[in-house]
Amino acid sequence: MRHADLISAKGVSVVMGTDQNRQLILRDIDLSVPQGSFVSLIGPSGCGKSTLLKVLAGLVSPSSGSVSIAGASPGEAARKRMIGLVFQDANLLPWKNAVDNASMLLGIADKSMSRSALRARGQEMLELVGLGDAAHKRPNELSGGMRQRVAIARALALDPAVLLMDEPFGALDAITRDSMGQSLLEIWQRTGKTIVFVTHSIDEAIQLSRQVHVLGIKPGRITQSLDVPLPYPRDASVAEIPEFVRLVLQLRGMLRSSHQPGDAS
Amino acid sequence: MSKQSVIDTSTSQPVSGWNAATSSWLPAVILLLVTIVLWEAAVRIFSISSFIVPAPSEIARSLVAQWDTLAQATVVTAGEILFGFLVSVVVGIALALVIVRFDWLGRALYPLVVLFQNVPKVALAPIFILWFGYGLAPKIGLILVIAFFPVTLSMLAGMQSVDRSLLSLMHSVGASPTQILFRIRVPHSLPSLMAGTKIAATLSVIGAIVGEFAGASDGLGYVIQFASTQLDTPLVFAALLLVSVLGIAFYYAAEFLERIVVPWAPKFSQA
Repeated sequence: MRHADLISAKGVSVVMGTDQNRQLILRDIDLSVPQGSFVSLIGPSGCGKSTLLKVLAGLVSPSSGSVSIAGASPGEAARKRMIGLVFQDANLLPWKNAVDNASMLLGIADKSMSRSALRARGQEMLELVGLGDAAHKRPNELSGGMRQRVAIARALALDPAVLLMDEPFGALDAITRDSMGQSLLEIWQRTGKTIVFVTHSIDEAIQLSRQVHVLGIKPGRITQSLDVPLPYPRDASVAEIPEFVRLVLQLRGMLRSSHQPGDAS
Repeated sequence: MSKQSVIDTSTSQPVSGWNAATSSWLPAVILLLVTIVLWEAAVRIFSISSFIVPAPSEIARSLVAQWDTLAQATVVTAGEILFGFLVSVVVGIALALVIVRFDWLGRALYPLVVLFQNVPKVALAPIFILWFGYGLAPKIGLILVIAFFPVTLSMLAGMQSVDRSLLSLMHSVGASPTQILFRIRVPHSLPSLMAGTKIAATLSVIGAIVGEFAGASDGLGYVIQFASTQLDTPLVFAALLLVSVLGIAFYYAAEFLERIVVPWAPKFSQA
């Protein structure tokens, strides 16, 4: 383990299902994510990339292998509020307004915080994600992109070391998706969080991340990794430079070869 | 010029609130009035005896003549419905909470609750009279056994339909089962619970009338039964009319409550 690795997974396998029908979801995953990095996991559906994220979040225990987050187990890391989660669905509470949604998880994690302190923290996070004006709106008054911003604010309110994001922009339209990606990069650079980002979009992976890991199917395993040496800050125009196009093609090739199920390799 | 006037009287203008309300009520009111007129005409033309089918005018006359008796009976029945309804809601919610919170107890209770649902509850009325006498208690008991089920079922459905990733989020910050129950599951179940509550409101009216049929000395159910033994069919219909009014009133009260309790429910978000 290199010193700067915040997340380190070694030989992680996950077996699920009943005794009669055991399925190897993930096999022998080695993953290291440096502190402050932006790493994407990309792969075809069913490759177990969401399961891997859940293992890192401590929501699924690996059948074998070990995971450490800053030297702690994922469960301990979650208890120390080191992990912020964002899913494809914002999963906001429809009966709470944006600011209360943003501070909801923090309120559960830290029972000593007063209501007003929670509100202040929620408001601060909403401003960070560009929703300072929408604090009193209920989820049904917000657009899909705005709801997802609140979900990001809710994760950031915990002040986690790691942001684990499972296809967070997967349900958004292309234009919203682009602007969300830009906002996420800004937030990342401002806060210095370590981000692990699951996606099935090649462009998104190249545009956002410093490193991309490609997962193959049956069983899910990391087949190849690609460093993205494009300089930050990146804006939408990064997609026009030749290097970007070359990386996209390279990643596409990697993905295609990962589609073939591998066994005794 | 004529083109101009067409645009001026454009129907694409937003309909005012009062107009919108009238246009949604109007068809029902017209149909009701037409039915009453046809009914009145049919009874007169075919000279049907009023103890078989009384004319609307006959029912109205009976309603006015017997107003004191009917009003008093309405108050009694309304009290039973309200009390029975509240007990049903409280018991229904408590049962749902117990089933969800205590897993083993839930697995024991739920099949029994479903089994009990298949007992014809109307047939319990004489037994309740036997156990609890002729007072308020057997009516409340009967309303309870008829009306608690939709409350329990709808609340359970609501509590169990919480999104898995929301539960993952809660688990990721170490939320306890009790925190998940009261912060997430219960509020999440409210829209569904309110739908069940509206069904319970309607069933409470039925429960009260059945209870009064089985044995009572007061209330609209008693008036209906008494009047039919006297072949006073206009009075039967007058009492039936009041039962319907009570039913509608309770239903809309429950709907009003719904708007107050769950203004954020998906069904209101289009408005």
